[in-house]
Amino acid sequence: MRKFLCLCLGLAIGLFLLGPVSPVRADDPIKIGLMGPVTGDWASEGQGMVQVVEILAAEINAAGGINGTQVVVEVGDDGGTPRTAAMAAQKLLSSNVVAVVGTYGSSVTEATQDIYDEAGVIQIATGSTKISLTGKGLQRFFRTCPRDDEQGRVLANNVKSLGFTKVALVHDNTSYSKGLADEAREIFKAIGVGEVYYDSIVPNDRDYTVSLTKIQAANPDVIVFTGYYPEAGLLLRQKRELGFNVPMIGGDATNNSSIVEIAGKEAADGYYFVSPPALPDMKSESAAKLMATYQEKYGTLPSSVWSVLAGDAFLVLVEAVKAVGPDSAKMAEWLKTGLKDFPGLSGSITFDEHGDRVGEVYRLYKISPDGQFVIQ
Amino acid sequence: MYDLNFFLQQLSNGLTRGSIYALIALGYTMVYGVMKLINFAHGELFTLGAFFGYTLLVTLGLAGSLGPPLAIGLSMIMVLGLVALAGHLLERVAYRPLRHSDRLAAVVSALGASIFLQNAIMLKWGAQYRAYGADLLPNVVFRVGGFNLPLVRLLVFVAAVVVMAFLHAFIHRTRLGLAIRASAIDQGAAKLMGIDVRKVIALVFVIGPALGGLAGLLVGLYYGQINYNMGQLYGLKAFTAAIIGGIGNITGAMVGGLLLGLLEALGEGYVSVAWKDALTFVVLIMILVFRPTGLLPERVAEKL
Repeated sequence: MRKFLCLCLGLAIGLFLLGPVSPVRADDPIKIGLMGPVTGDWASEGQGMVQVVEILAAEINAAGGINGTQVVVEVGDDGGTPRTAAMAAQKLLSSNVVAVVGTYGSSVTEATQDIYDEAGVIQIATGSTKISLTGKGLQRFFRTCPRDDEQGRVLANNVKSLGFTKVALVHDNTSYSKGLADEAREIFKAIGVGEVYYDSIVPNDRDYTVSLTKIQAANPDVIVFTGYYPEAGLLLRQKRELGFNVPMIGGDATNNSSIVEIAGKEAADGYYFVSPPALPDMKSESAAKLMATYQEKYGTLPSSVWSVLAGDAFLVLVEAVKAVGPDSAKMAEWLKTGLKDFPGLSGSITFDEHGDRVGEVYRLYKISPDGQFVIQ
Repeated sequence: MYDLNFFLQQLSNGLTRGSIYALIALGYTMVYGVMKLINFAHGELFTLGAFFGYTLLVTLGLAGSLGPPLAIGLSMIMVLGLVALAGHLLERVAYRPLRHSDRLAAVVSALGASIFLQNAIMLKWGAQYRAYGADLLPNVVFRVGGFNLPLVRLLVFVAAVVVMAFLHAFIHRTRLGLAIRASAIDQGAAKLMGIDVRKVIALVFVIGPALGGLAGLLVGLYYGQINYNMGQLYGLKAFTAAIIGGIGNITGAMVGGLLLGLLEALGEGYVSVAWKDALTFVVLIMILVFRPTGLLPERVAEKL
């Protein structure tokens, strides 16, 4: 018995010693980190990120890898909190990743930016929309998601391109809604769209007929509402009851199917809103392919756009390795100067000198007579 | 811009809103008149009415199987009955055992009942917004002069006024009404005259909640969207209306509700939405400064 134990121990020690001296192969896999909230409040987002990126990695490896080298995704769980994220970042760095995809929350990303920067590793955030993240002069930080100010710009530009000239701007005094309204207001001034009405409504008041009557008296040709879907539904419904036929357009907080239930199909018909597109509405071929694979593997679609943007971050990193090899300094340089109009899942991707994505992710939607959200 | 049509339109906006406040305010004022107790759970009884209506009309699909007019009539009656029952149970459980204790005990019990009911509604129906179908009532809009008068709005206003007229007649023309008025003036003397005050209190706790529940159903029908904590805001507004009118006075609650609706609509229409509540409460304070007991105070000789 003793002998047997000694043998076992000997074998174990032998294997342990053998491990590190196993020969280094010339085609060591390329490691790309993925930091996401796999657990915690945003777990569905984090799990979506992992699922999407792993599907894409498997496809690339099946097709022969990057220039013949296999790619490995190392997952670090940030738990949706800055503290856990710092540990996840250390874990990813110690496994020698060349670049990291992630993460979702802005505050979580912010906690890890310096850690990756000091280690000289590229980070591409996928859901962190806080404006200041790219304003710190970090040379290796990028993001595939829009910035918070993009929505206001897209909203305002769409109002203009739909041919409206006199807007009534309505917000609900929450910081999101008022911020968006003020953002749009600045741009309306700049692009020459007149404002005939600007005021708030009180969420939960339910009766907005007084505001609507006042708006009617101001005679706008469109109502821009930057609040949430319960109030948007009521505004549409009461607008119709008052016989006030003017189009209405809103932001991504109204992207919820309840708006049709509350307003009724007839009143909701023709309502516009801007929102990042859902996966089925992304026009690219790669998105269609991802959708099919994802559907087959998980029986549903990714629950949000943010996991698809993680897929985009992964794809541009793969592209960078293809172009200049797995060297993060060269890759970062190439992402800023060499990458132009890369056909990503969510559309074409180009980064500016701050690491922000050039072009717009937000799309215009319109509610059809049967209550469907149709991308324009 | 602010012409006569604008004024008339805002007037009708305000009256609709006000008639709902008035219906809810009646519940506060009746209970206060008899028991000298603010029923803080009244806002939740109102919410309960909205959700009973939702279950009847949407979940059970009465509107689909009976046709809207019959379904709405039937659900009005059922909501009146169900919320009256809930009000009665509330009185039995939360208030009756405390009738002879300290006034403060009853107030705390009322607050507790309010929290309990709100959470019970949330657990039963969920925390999300629920929508009454928009096709329950036809969208007919009458054009009167230069302004628009939707049929739904007319229905809400007429329903509220009819119910209030009935209540007024009941209080002033029937023996039960007389008993309620007598109990409000002096419970001890009423008892000596052979009035069963306990029954009067039970009756008040049936009528008040029923009217609140009806208001909930009307809000569901008119605005089409309800959620579990809607009673807080409406309760507060209706309570304010009861104070403006003179709490304890039934006509006062009706006048106070309509006045509050008008004040809000005109404040919102002519000044700004952000200032609406500030203006309304400035008026409330003025009324209380010059008439501390409200516009139509309960007179000792002719209470209720």
